[in-house]
Amino acid sequence: MSAKVLLIDDDQDFRISLRSLLEGHGYEVFEAVSGHEGLRMIVEHKPDAILVDIMMETSTEGYGVTHALKYLDEYAEYRQVPVLMVSSIEESPDERFPMSPEAEMIRPDRYLTKPLDIPRFLEVLERTVGVGKGASN
Amino acid sequence: MGEADAPETVVVIDDDYAMRLSCCKILSKMGVRVEAFEDGTRGLAGIGRLKPGLIVVDLKMPGISGIEVTSRVHEIDPQITIVVITGYATIDTAVEAMKCGAYDFLPKPFSPDELRLIVNRGLERRRLSLESQRCEIERAMLKRRFVTFVSHQLRTPLVAIHQYLDVLKHLGDTGEVAAKREEWLDRCLKRTEELQSLIADWLTLARVEGGALMKERIKVDLRQLLPGILKTYEEMAAGEGVSLHAALSEEPLCVGGDWNCLTVLFDNLITNGIKYNRPGGTVTVSGCLSGGEVVVTVADTGIGVPDKYRPFLFDEFFRIKDDGAKKTTGTGLGLHIAKRIVSEMSGSLDFESQPGAGSTFRVRLPAWHEADSAKPGSSE
Repeated sequence: MSAKVLLIDDDQDFRISLRSLLEGHGYEVFEAVSGHEGLRMIVEHKPDAILVDIMMETSTEGYGVTHALKYLDEYAEYRQVPVLMVSSIEESPDERFPMSPEAEMIRPDRYLTKPLDIPRFLEVLERTVGVGKGASN
Repeated sequence: MGEADAPETVVVIDDDYAMRLSCCKILSKMGVRVEAFEDGTRGLAGIGRLKPGLIVVDLKMPGISGIEVTSRVHEIDPQITIVVITGYATIDTAVEAMKCGAYDFLPKPFSPDELRLIVNRGLERRRLSLESQRCEIERAMLKRRFVTFVSHQLRTPLVAIHQYLDVLKHLGDTGEVAAKREEWLDRCLKRTEELQSLIADWLTLARVEGGALMKERIKVDLRQLLPGILKTYEEMAAGEGVSLHAALSEEPLCVGGDWNCLTVLFDNLITNGIKYNRPGGTVTVSGCLSGGEVVVTVADTGIGVPDKYRPFLFDEFFRIKDDGAKKTTGTGLGLHIAKRIVSEMSGSLDFESQPGAGSTFRVRLPAWHEADSAKPGSSE
């Protein structure tokens, strides 16, 4: 069975091309346009990896997803699902929330910057999905 | 801020018991919190703990001198205001203390009024300096946020284009993608247009904000301007199944402004009316003179503005992305620019909206008086 990847990004074009790329590499792809919808789809589709944009409708929406996954009880069973955070802004939580204990709470498993370096992205994803599957089996 | 409401703390350091007592008495009547210490060592420890806004320190004390206290206090917090108390014999020392960072000095003996005056002034100075520091920090943060936001706005379409091309290249010869090629290239073109209009809007905004567009204030009759604009957008409106109507009064609708600027203003309002409309809908531009003002309304029969978005409608980059508006494109700057132009012209722009039924934007501009032409350059 192919690994499932959830894309959470509000840019339709980004999702369209990424979906084709991932499907071309044998992944099953689900899309969400907001952090809110993303969380719903995590429960619904139980993805093996999540790709989330930081800056959507609100400028920190992506962090809301990692935060919810790590700390809300209702998502406890998805806590191990690896989260790759992508953004065109090269900024880690440490830079965005300097000196804040929040930074630790919202740290994703991986940062990637847009535009994605395709070969490297595919390699990271393959490794990440492998790890995620290993942990849940 | 909460701390602004709390009373300021003043620390008094003096080895003379009577002096400490009377300072405390005078100052606590001013509504500040006072703590007194009998020597420099205890005083400095107290300052570290109490974080006062101001200290009053005697220069001549056994142990750590007032001079030393002065220079050490500013290591703890450079924002603390220091007032030194001096005897007649120590004016030179007072000068030295000022050099070390004391704010002012009070020669003994002094009256309660003199103490109150100098402490009040010192606290006021500190308040102002804290405020300007806060403003500075806020400004820096806003600037940083703006830069982040703007680069995000510019990068988003670029990233989308880049990734289409990159994926096309990557999956180049597979049949599936070949079928998508045309569609993707069209999307790329759309996104480049988005970038172009973003940059164009930006430049307009920068020019409006810089006052450049308003320098040329001439008499413009909106009865001549508006029909031309409506004509420009007939084709676009027809494409959306929307019809355009004009209901302009018989009398001239003259305002003092810049032709290009006014064109941008009504362009933005009319295109919004078309974009956020529905097939079979209308956009009606009406104009009349009313109480010394030219009032132009642009009314559409579109999706309206949901109540929750009302406060944000004129914000930079704000766009409604609800169901009915999903397919519309735009930079999120149109209404912001419109508002700027109107306020530069000493007018007003507001709207009424019924979600699901349509919106009416109302521009009010001061009517042109023939006297206006007699004083060119009076636009400042």
